Amino acid sequence: MDEQPQIPLQAESTAPSSEPGQSAPEHAVDEGMSRETRALLYGAAGWLLPGMGHVLQRMWGRAIVVFLAVGILACAGAAMKGNVFTRDGSDAFDTLGFAADLGTGGFYAVARTMEPDGSDVSHADGDYGTRLLATAGVLNLLAALHAYEAARGRKA
Amino acid sequence: MSDLPSLQLTHFQAFLLFSVVISVAFGFLGRRRPKDRIRYILWTLILFLVIGIGIGWAMLPFSR
Repeated sequence: MDEQPQIPLQAESTAPSSEPGQSAPEHAVDEGMSRETRALLYGAAGWLLPGMGHVLQRMWGRAIVVFLAVGILACAGAAMKGNVFTRDGSDAFDTLGFAADLGTGGFYAVARTMEPDGSDVSHADGDYGTRLLATAGVLNLLAALHAYEAARGRKA
Repeated sequence: MSDLPSLQLTHFQAFLLFSVVISVAFGFLGRRRPKDRIRYILWTLILFLVIGIGIGWAMLPFSR
């Protein structure tokens, strides 16, 4: 893809006004909360509820897409009887799977609720569902990181 | 909740679902202008499909 010119964050976010392409001074961001702290909160909010990190910065389009993407993948994975890993994993792969699944934030609980009888990975569908669930988690972590970086003024 | 019907997709349907959702998410996160987003979404979707199907074909001799 062609290199696209970077557009400053301030055009879409609620960050205080500053010159395009420059980060706002630390003292100008907020009276009671530093930019770094706020960015961390946005990132954590985006992890817990997919898209929330962008909602707080009024990036509505991104918020909706992240929420729908993570939700569709997580719900489809659970509906396909994918394996929703727990912290009681027996090996490193289970632990990695749990970390990925936990990345979906609130949808982890939804996925667990959708599978009261447990997973069924004896068929290809269940195996695909496991991958979709992990993908949803990693995608949400990526989106949360994007929200964090956007709040720091590093990414448009 | 135990009455939820299980979703059954073919290999290609699951692959297509993954590709479309991830492409759209990447497009919105990675680009800002609508035109750029559409181009990026289409580009990543095509790459997903071509590379995925290509790898599938490459594995065909080993699947028997």
